[in-house]
Amino acid sequence: MPDKQNGRGLPVIAQVALVFAGAYLLLRFSVQPPIPSSVLGMYMFFVGVSLMLFVSSDDDRFAEFKRPLIQLLTAREHKVPRLVLGTVFPLLVAYLGYAGAHTEIAPPGQQRTVHPAPPNEIDFKGKRIDVLTAENPFRHLAEEEPEAFREHVARGKDVYYRNCVFCHGDNLEGDGLYAHGLSPIPANLADPGTIAQLQESYLFWRIAKGGPGLPVEGTPWDSAMPAWEKFLDEDEIWEVILFLYDFTDQHPRSWEE
Amino acid sequence: MMRGAKGGIGIIELLAITAGSIVVGAAAGAADLEAGRALYDDKCAQCHGLSGEGDGVAADALDPRPRDFTSGSFKIRTTPSGELPTDPDLASIIERGMPYTGMPAWDFLGDEAIANLVAYIQTFNEDFADPEMRVDPVEIPSPPAMTEESVEKGRQVFVENKCGECHGDQGRGDGESAPTLMTDAGIPIRPADMTKRWTFRGGSSRSDIYRTFTTGLDGTPMPSYADSIDEEQRWQLVDYVYSLSEDEPGYGSVVVAQPVEGPLSLDPGDGSFANAPVTRFPMLGQVTDPGRAFAPAVNAVEVRAVYNDEEVALLVSWHDIAGRREGSNRPNGRDAAPADAALSDAVAVQLPSKHGGTKPYMFYGDPANSVDLWFYEAGANEARVYLGRGEENLAPAPAGGDEIRAKGVYEDGRWQVVFVAPRGSGDAQRVPQETFVPIAFSVWSGLARESGNRRAISSWYHLYLAPPDTGEAYKAAGMMGLGALVAELLVVASVRRSQAGGQS
Repeated sequence: MPDKQNGRGLPVIAQVALVFAGAYLLLRFSVQPPIPSSVLGMYMFFVGVSLMLFVSSDDDRFAEFKRPLIQLLTAREHKVPRLVLGTVFPLLVAYLGYAGAHTEIAPPGQQRTVHPAPPNEIDFKGKRIDVLTAENPFRHLAEEEPEAFREHVARGKDVYYRNCVFCHGDNLEGDGLYAHGLSPIPANLADPGTIAQLQESYLFWRIAKGGPGLPVEGTPWDSAMPAWEKFLDEDEIWEVILFLYDFTDQHPRSWEE
Repeated sequence: MMRGAKGGIGIIELLAITAGSIVVGAAAGAADLEAGRALYDDKCAQCHGLSGEGDGVAADALDPRPRDFTSGSFKIRTTPSGELPTDPDLASIIERGMPYTGMPAWDFLGDEAIANLVAYIQTFNEDFADPEMRVDPVEIPSPPAMTEESVEKGRQVFVENKCGECHGDQGRGDGESAPTLMTDAGIPIRPADMTKRWTFRGGSSRSDIYRTFTTGLDGTPMPSYADSIDEEQRWQLVDYVYSLSEDEPGYGSVVVAQPVEGPLSLDPGDGSFANAPVTRFPMLGQVTDPGRAFAPAVNAVEVRAVYNDEEVALLVSWHDIAGRREGSNRPNGRDAAPADAALSDAVAVQLPSKHGGTKPYMFYGDPANSVDLWFYEAGANEARVYLGRGEENLAPAPAGGDEIRAKGVYEDGRWQVVFVAPRGSGDAQRVPQETFVPIAFSVWSGLARESGNRRAISSWYHLYLAPPDTGEAYKAAGMMGLGALVAELLVVASVRRSQAGGQS
């Protein structure tokens, strides 16, 4: 171990600075997800206090630590750095004061439930549809009549690219032509956390009733999702649902699982 | 021993390199056409059509329309005007996409899949198979330094070559001939708005712009200037065009209104607006309600606001290639306007009728929560107020309500419309200070036959009336800086005293 009092190794003050900077970099950049800045500030406070306790626990080490500081503040030959530091420090503090009082004008965030609880049933053009139990009338064809099933998927694909692509995107990732101007952004249907977690009947509700059909926790006023019952018939909606799962290689959630 | 080992490695390396080059050579020589076809049918045919004619199911809703690959004509190329693009040209456009069109970036497909697509796309036009039809790309040199001088010289090149006849004197795409321009296929096309570089289909770097000037945009009225403007001048023109635009649209979410003294002006050139910060909002096609606009003419609005105790003034501006004052327009209705009706341009500002309640539905409100719509019609050069309780339930506001004043000016491709509205008071207060008030916009282009539901819309954003700047931030800065200085002097003094004491 290097003996600092004999002048070997790094000066104590440099060691302290290195440990402090190292701790900051480690906490700031190597932890995912990132630590909030207020918590980071707390951690760094404790790192600082610990370092001071360590330094002052030994009189010699403390003296060693203080020496360059005292020299900087008193020695005649350090006049220039002293003046520079003496000017920069208050300016820095003044800037922090300015930045602290000058807050960015940003609207308050708003709570939003992405997949709110559906109603038990909906009225679709005069027909009652049970949102909890309704089944896709074409789903059973997947095994029974694969060719007919592919035709329904193909029709669903046409429905998608005539209607949905503008917001949900060519690759169903919610990044269509108009996505940059929408808040909430269009759903990413390819994400495993979206349609794979839902039943087909839930999708039928979301598509048929769109933004206006959302409950309050889904912020219906901000959603640009059309109530597709204005444009599509029942078969078209079930077909586009087939396509959404088929294209993204996902499967709807069902009660049997 | 060492020598032998080295020799052995050399032979293995040689074998590996040979085998590798055979594999690479085979891949470059013959991309997997079948894989290309499968990928094309899965991801491209919905717009470009199974037979590559640009007639997929989504095609009719897109403007610009998807490329017809059978035509052999391509806009973005490094080859001279009229020639087929190179393989890297096609790969590059697939990878990068075309901003503000239906063509997204497909970079996630990976190089090999894109190479297969490039090969398959070329089967739609037989010229690609003819080696004599394949020409070398033009050279795109590395860009020279951009200077104030090159920008100014570029401006002269712009004027001398009459670029403004299509692109407008200020580059906003509003040239005299702009409304008449057609593609070779007879479809109307808008000249690029040079003040919005981020919308350039072929990319927005200086090299991209140079390539467009050099090779032209085939199939459109944009010619190649390779023969008429020399290389140095083409770079100067690049620099001038580049200088007309910011790098990014920088879309915002809040209009911050500044307080002013005295009455509010209806003149967009009024000095009070110059001091108010400008916020740009993206405008989208209204595709939610029937009467949908899949490709609206306007892609953004810019908004400034000022206010006094009684009123708030909004300056809403946007670019359109023609300003239409003839005729009239209307904010609602699902049906297209009759073909013989003259349609004027229009813009609307939407706010909740009541402050502080539930936010109304973004498309003209809902039965429980109504919106006020300030509808400025360029034909009348004034605003009318509507009360909206949904897309099908928008009607002129009852008499005796707020009077909204509005005036609009169209100049050099830009509309500037000023609305002055009462802020309301007491229970009827609509725009209180230091509150985030929901606000949304709609724009109709008469030239593009937009009216009613066929329009460009924005999402809900916010209007915020900033309090007068009392210099709080500067006060805080001054106090804290002074405090730091005093603390510093105290430390120095105490250290010096203790050092002096220790030494004596």
